[in-house]
Amino acid sequence: MRHLRLWRRFFAQAVVRETHYRAHFLTTLLVGLVQLGLGIVPTLLLFGFTQEVHGWTRAEVIALVGVYQVVTGLMATFIGPNLNRMTSYLTEGELDAVLLRPVSSQFYLTFRWINVAELSNVASGIIVLAFGLVQSGLTPNVGQVLQAVVLVMCGLVLLTAVWSALVYSAFWLQSVGPIGIVYLSVVEAGRYPLTFFPVPVRSFLTFVFPVAFATTYPLQALSGDLGWGSVGLGIGLSVIAVLLIRLVWQRGLRTYASASS
Amino acid sequence: MIRNLRILRRMVAAEIAQQSIYRGAWVIFMLANICTPLISLLIWRTALANGAQLPVDERYITTYFVLLGIATMTTSSWMAGFLANDIRLGKLSSWMVRPASLLLGFVANNLSEKFLKVFALIPMLGVVWWIFRDSMNVPPGFGRWALFVVTLVLGAILVFTIDILIAAFAFWMDDVSALVQARVIIGSVLSGAVVPLALMPEWSRGFINYQPYRYTVSFPVEIVAGNLSSTELMTGLAVQIGYVVAVGLLARFVWAAGIRAYSAVGA
Repeated sequence: MRHLRLWRRFFAQAVVRETHYRAHFLTTLLVGLVQLGLGIVPTLLLFGFTQEVHGWTRAEVIALVGVYQVVTGLMATFIGPNLNRMTSYLTEGELDAVLLRPVSSQFYLTFRWINVAELSNVASGIIVLAFGLVQSGLTPNVGQVLQAVVLVMCGLVLLTAVWSALVYSAFWLQSVGPIGIVYLSVVEAGRYPLTFFPVPVRSFLTFVFPVAFATTYPLQALSGDLGWGSVGLGIGLSVIAVLLIRLVWQRGLRTYASASS
Repeated sequence: MIRNLRILRRMVAAEIAQQSIYRGAWVIFMLANICTPLISLLIWRTALANGAQLPVDERYITTYFVLLGIATMTTSSWMAGFLANDIRLGKLSSWMVRPASLLLGFVANNLSEKFLKVFALIPMLGVVWWIFRDSMNVPPGFGRWALFVVTLVLGAILVFTIDILIAAFAFWMDDVSALVQARVIIGSVLSGAVVPLALMPEWSRGFINYQPYRYTVSFPVEIVAGNLSSTELMTGLAVQIGYVVAVGLLARFVWAAGIRAYSAVGA
C-alpha cells in the first residue's frame, strides 16, 4: 500500500516534469507514429501476397500490431526508463544511495522513473487495435475483453521480469550496458502472431521470452479462441516469474560490493 | 594523401585499443543486430510455406536475411549526431589548427568499431548460416563474393558521406537530431533492411531500384542472394559508383561552405 502511494508520487512528479519539456512530448509522439507506420509495412506487404497465414487475416494482424504498440508503449513509459539505467546503478556504485532508503530497493529501481510522453504510443496503439477489430468484424464480449486485459497485464509482468533478469546479469558480468537493445530486438517478434514462427521458436516466445502473453494471447482472447485455462497459465507464470526475479535480485545484491567510496 | 593515411592508421590502432575495453558490449550489439533479420526471415518463410505467392523463392529470402546483418553492420554510420555536436559546441575549432581533418577521427572510429564488431558477428552469422544451410544460395566461384565485398565498401562510403552531409546542416541549424532520425527511419525501409526491396509493390519498382538507399544495403546482398543478370549487375555497380561520387562531391562542397560559415562557438 505504501508502495502504491509512493508510486503515485513518482507519477505526479513525472507529469509535472513532462510539462517542462513540451518539445520532447511532440518528438516522442511523432517518432512513435512513424515507427508504428513502419512496423505495419511488413504486415501490409505480406498480406499483399496472400489472404491469410495460419488462420490469421490482415485485419487481425493489424489489431495485433495495435496490442503490440500498447504493450511496448506501457513498457517504455513505466519500465524502460528504469531498467535502461540499471547497469550504471550497479557498475558505478549509485546503488549505495538507493539501498539506504527506507523502501524496497528492487521496487524503487524498477518503478522510480516514468516517461509520460510514451503514453502517446499507448493511445495510438489503442486506435490501431480498434481499427483492426472493426476491420476484422470481431465483437468481443465483456468476458473476452477481461481475459485480454488480464493477459496483457501478465505479459507486462513477464516482460518486465525477463528484461530485469537481463540487466541484473550486470551483477556478475559488469559490462552489459547496452543489453536493453537485445530485449528491444527480440520483443519485435511480438508484432507477429505466435503461429508465424516454427514450433521451437514458439516455445521460446512463450516460456523463455514470453512476449506471446503480451500480444498473441490477448488477441486470441478477443476473438474468442482462448479459454480461461490460458489465462490461468499466464497468471501462474507471472507469479513464478516475480518470485524468481526477487530471488535473482537478492542473490545479485549479495555479490554487490559497491563501486565507489 | 599518404600522410593522411598514415595518421588514419595510427588513429585506427588507438581507437581499436580503446574500444576493445567494451568488447562485451560489441557482442551484445551484434546479438541484437542478428535478431532482427532472423525474426523477419522466420515470418517470410512461414508465409512462403503457407502458400504466399512471392516474386522470389525461399532460397532468395533465406540468403537475403542471413546476410542482411553483416551488410547493415558493415555499411552503418552512427556519427551524424556526434559530428553535429562537435560543430555546434565548437569542438571543431581545435581540429582546424591540427594537421588532420576532424572527419578523419570519425573515419577511424567507424573503421575500428566495425573491425571489432566483425569478430563478434561472424560466429553468430556462422551459426545462423549452419541452421539454414539447406536453403542458402551460394553463388559458385569467387566473382560474386568479391563484388559483394566491393559493393559493401562502396555502400559504407555512401552512408558515411550521407551522414557528413546531414551533420553539415549543423553549420546553419541548431538542432539536426530530427534530420538524423529521419535519415535512419527512411534509410531502414528504402535500404531493404526491413523488407527485401524485391518484395516492394510493382508500381514502386522504378523508384525503388534507382533511389540511393538501395545501394547502401540491398544491392550488395542482392548480388549474392539473387539472380541479378550480368547487365543488371553492371548497371547497379555503375549507379552505385555514380552515387558515391555525386554524394561525395556534394558533401565536400557543403562541408567547405560550412567551414566558411562556421563561427566557432565557445572559442
